[in-house]
Amino acid sequence: MTIFVGGFVFQFDGFQKKAAETMKHAHGTTTLAFIFKEGVIVAADSRASMGGYISSQSVKKIIEINPYMLGTMAGGAADCQFWHRNLGIKCRLHELANKRRISVTGASKLLANILYSYRGMGLSIGTMIAGWDETGPGLYYVDSEGGRLKGKRFSVGSGSPYAYGVLDDGYRFDMSVEEAAELARRAIYHATFRDGASGGVASVYYVGPDGWKKLSGDDVGELHYKYYPAVVEQEMAEVTIA
Amino acid sequence: MECVFGLVGDGFALVVADTSAVHSILVHKSNEDKIMILDSHKLLGASGESGDRVQFTEYIQKNVHLYKFRNGISLSTAAAANFTRGELATALRKAQRQVFVANPYSVNLLLAGYDKDIGPSLYYIDYIATLHKIDKGAFGYGSYFSLSMMDRHYHSGMSVEEAINLVDKIIMEIRSRLVVAPPNFVIKIVDKDGAREYAWRESIKDVDASPAAMA
Amino acid sequence: MGSRWSPYDNNGGTCVAIAGSDYCVIAADTRMSTGYSILTRDYSKICKLADKAVMASSGFQADVRALQKNLAAKHLTYQHQHNKQMSCPAMAHLLSNTLYYKRFFPYYSFNVLGGLDNEGKGCVYTYDAVGSYERVGYSTQGSGSSLIMPVLDNQLKSPSPLLLPAKDAVTPLSESDAVDLVKDVFASATERDIYTGDAVEIVVINAGGIRRESIDLRKD
Repeated sequence: MTIFVGGFVFQFDGFQKKAAETMKHAHGTTTLAFIFKEGVIVAADSRASMGGYISSQSVKKIIEINPYMLGTMAGGAADCQFWHRNLGIKCRLHELANKRRISVTGASKLLANILYSYRGMGLSIGTMIAGWDETGPGLYYVDSEGGRLKGKRFSVGSGSPYAYGVLDDGYRFDMSVEEAAELARRAIYHATFRDGASGGVASVYYVGPDGWKKLSGDDVGELHYKYYPAVVEQEMAEVTIA
Repeated sequence: MECVFGLVGDGFALVVADTSAVHSILVHKSNEDKIMILDSHKLLGASGESGDRVQFTEYIQKNVHLYKFRNGISLSTAAAANFTRGELATALRKAQRQVFVANPYSVNLLLAGYDKDIGPSLYYIDYIATLHKIDKGAFGYGSYFSLSMMDRHYHSGMSVEEAINLVDKIIMEIRSRLVVAPPNFVIKIVDKDGAREYAWRESIKDVDASPAAMA
Repeated sequence: MGSRWSPYDNNGGTCVAIAGSDYCVIAADTRMSTGYSILTRDYSKICKLADKAVMASSGFQADVRALQKNLAAKHLTYQHQHNKQMSCPAMAHLLSNTLYYKRFFPYYSFNVLGGLDNEGKGCVYTYDAVGSYERVGYSTQGSGSSLIMPVLDNQLKSPSPLLLPAKDAVTPLSESDAVDLVKDVFASATERDIYTGDAVEIVVINAGGIRRESIDLRKD
């Protein structure tokens, strides 16, 4: 494995490879967000893993940038945490300079431009910026390759194909907040069920005209009994020996 | 996989592009517009890495606008094509000097424009800064189908109707023969009346597929 | 084929921290190794950063020392500017930014930070090498962490702070029980991890101040 560090090229091996891996932890993740009639729903799991070892079951993958905007975290935990914190500062500065809150479009572009300037240097971020601004609900996907997409429905992380499966099937634009939260929770649950790198707690946030609100946080181990009712097992019968 | 192609007809040029934003096995978006309207009479169809594509085409667009603000006249299509090529070429050589940024702009472009005295024109510009004036061209996996079909059916002085018929033929061929075929396409046209969106060809109708729903 | 020169080494070591309602226990073994060689048996991995913030670090000793000096210098500046000691949550944030500052040439150090927060409650912050951090009830880092973490989960596991409606997440242990648990987990880790042993240094922070003690471990 080769890691590029400030112009020098280091060969990493053994535990050093492990050290490099720790930088990329929280790679296994499921996050999703979608726009619907009432606003935006954002949801995520809470597991961080390093290879096969679960390094945390309580990661806050939904980052509260300000009262009207949320970011999600997939990829390097430190990269996401640091640059979202940085974005929060820039958004507040924008607010003080212009006497109005930054748009979701503007905030996501701020982040995308920073990440684009670091392209090729090994940052690992896959994030969604969701929020409510003067134009209504907003949702963007931004990644460390410099990509930035506007959309109505995204899922990011190793569990995202599973989450998309449930999400695409159950999505309707005119859902109520309760229906939308239930769909998001279910999509995260089903992703944690199939993806070993996702798990822990399924957190669901809603962003509306009055800012974000956390709607639920459920241990997926308990959701299992709600969403995956056990089939009645066949009764064990005594084998009669003839 | 990415499909961008275009051709020059009688008094117009058109550019067609798929509208999928793909990451490994996932289609994150099926209505991503990859054809930028550079100015009133220019279209820039682009394929390549999503970050580079957006950053580079926006950079070109802003500079073309800046030129008009400063000088009061627009760049001709040929001038814009040469400017674009120049920016790619300098970036390419800059990359060679730096160790850790491999390829600054991996973008392939089709630039279509209409100039009053010259008429319609189409330029092929690839990521290693090749510039070529063409009357039909294509990029990406779709090019295997579109190039041969345009060789077979293209003729100079095509009417809009003939050109659109050909474009639809090509789109159908890509959808039926390409393994990882994109579902949706956008067609844009430029003629004496300006550059504009002509039509969408969508085979997936989901909530975020129709451009109207996004507005 | 010889392997390329590297600016990093792994000196091993294990750190544990447990937060209680009004105390915090931070502990680390005192062995320092490289490969199969033991370099010293009484090297302290615990560093007092402020009156109510103590950091335990394992990994590469040179990087750990550089990090400790860096933080000490920043804390001195802070004291000159604000005429007070830095709080533990503030120190936690500073440590995160300090680690991320070297994102492209990281400090090879795995840290836990323990102390008391502004309400006098015990707090533990756990980090990765480049500064991602999280406030938790208990944590372990270093070479023996994968042996110790499951035991702490079993003995201390409290409802996740992410749950809504929220459930009380304070470690139910008394201070002396927490110290006993720390001694047990280190004795156990020493049995199975070659980089852990010799002695465990335990630091307890409560309203009365900071107390240190040391317990012998196996030396083989």
